[in-house]
Amino acid sequence: MTALLEMEAVHAGYGQTSVLHGVSLSVPEGGVVSLLGANGAGKTTTLRAITGGVRWTGDIRFGGRSLRRMSTEDIVRAGIAHVPEGRGILTELTVDENLKLGSHLRRDTKEVRKDYDRVFDYFPVLKERRALSASTLSGGEQQMLALARAFLMKPKLMLLDEPSLGLAPIIVRSIFEIIRSINQSSRVTVLLVEQNARIALDLSTRAYVLEVGRVAVEGDSEELQGNESVRRSYLGY
Amino acid sequence: MQAFLQQVISGIAIGGVFASLALALVLIYNAMGLVNFAQGEMAMLATFAAYALINRGMSYWIALPVTLVLAFGGGIVIQRVVIRPAEKAPILALVIITLGLATLLNGLAGFIFGYVPRSFPSAFSAQTVDLLGVFISYRDLGVIGVSGLVLLAVYLLLQRTTVGLTLRAAAHHPEASRLLGVQVSWMLALGWGLASAVGAVSGIMVAPILLLEPNMMQSIIIYAFAAAVLGGIESPLGAVLGGLIVGVTVNLAGAYLPFVGGDLQLAVGLAIIIVVLIIRPNGLFGRAAARRV
Repeated sequence: MTALLEMEAVHAGYGQTSVLHGVSLSVPEGGVVSLLGANGAGKTTTLRAITGGVRWTGDIRFGGRSLRRMSTEDIVRAGIAHVPEGRGILTELTVDENLKLGSHLRRDTKEVRKDYDRVFDYFPVLKERRALSASTLSGGEQQMLALARAFLMKPKLMLLDEPSLGLAPIIVRSIFEIIRSINQSSRVTVLLVEQNARIALDLSTRAYVLEVGRVAVEGDSEELQGNESVRRSYLGY
Repeated sequence: MQAFLQQVISGIAIGGVFASLALALVLIYNAMGLVNFAQGEMAMLATFAAYALINRGMSYWIALPVTLVLAFGGGIVIQRVVIRPAEKAPILALVIITLGLATLLNGLAGFIFGYVPRSFPSAFSAQTVDLLGVFISYRDLGVIGVSGLVLLAVYLLLQRTTVGLTLRAAAHHPEASRLLGVQVSWMLALGWGLASAVGAVSGIMVAPILLLEPNMMQSIIIYAFAAAVLGGIESPLGAVLGGLIVGVTVNLAGAYLPFVGGDLQLAVGLAIIIVVLIIRPNGLFGRAAARRV
């Protein structure tokens, strides 16, 4: 499989504080890759570097093309949907308007309509609440909205920042089932940041564990799950 | 009763003028949390542009849309050239920039056109029509009609079009909007262009009443501030209703309170600002400023 996204020795940080100290990783086209690690390890900063939300050095390539000096808007338009920490819901707008912002750049009207049907199939609750303000949604529903909106962008790559955060286990399970389905039936590549290592490794084929801004462990998800010492020291279960 | 209703109607007409300028203020406040003190002078300069076009023989109804397009472009240029370089500066620096811009535009208009007040044509006659015993001038009806149309157009643009949706998104959540591919910086420029065009309408509507000169908008901007604050500085609908309320209030106060007369009307506008800020700082339609800690 060819790599859709490659990071090579990426250093990044905020002002004087550097957070990433040479992160290299590769996300194969069509795959699901987990990015694990403790709080403050640099998971969110890695995603922010990819979509240009933080200054970085080294190289990041998407589909073979360097993202250096590209604006966030252009990176997104090139096919990367980033569901950020806190989900990025526009709470002043309605559910429907949030979804429209996902599809607003697409010109394939027929396909868009089909994708809306898919989305409402995945998340019937969003259809019921279309006209309501997004601020009235519960945490789980906001996560569904963020995921639905990202799907409507028809991305090649989805960056998901802790989709399980703050949600009840049963909702987490159903959301991860839908991520799996989006990956498998729509061929969307996924880079998944998670604290919940167990559920992330179940979904992904490959995983990286970050520790203080460096890749500490990498390997096939199954391999990492089976490795007792990795599990104990890095994954905490 | 008829005299009272006549005062109310002309209050609504002048209120439409305040509403347009207040809406312009709200558009920019929403986009960047900035009160644009140059909004009135931008409208004044646009009105001079209309004056120049009409003086060169262009008909009023062609000069009006042409001026709005010019004002729209001018607003974009101002945002790109003057505001954008200071985008990351503290908000106070931006406020000072708009104050400087106001002085600059005022001086520019004086330099080009001089300070002698000029009469500005109105598309509507000053004659009155008898509506069930209430005499209303065509001019008032025209101002109400044109302001109403402009406000409706802005509403439809913001609420019913994709551009309007991305404009609102960029204004409320610039970071999240960037991640959805919205070109936030251009949306800000578009907001300035839109505000400039909407503000220009207020200048063109009020010029036949006040006579056109570089300081023409300096009282109107006070009323517009009152309208925007009354409506809750973030709410476009609030700005429009605030404009109408301020217009009617000021007009009635001038007509029925002998000590106000024509001289103290501006003081009524200022009093509205102060009273609203003391009693209900978020205005009629503003949301309480809440911050998650």
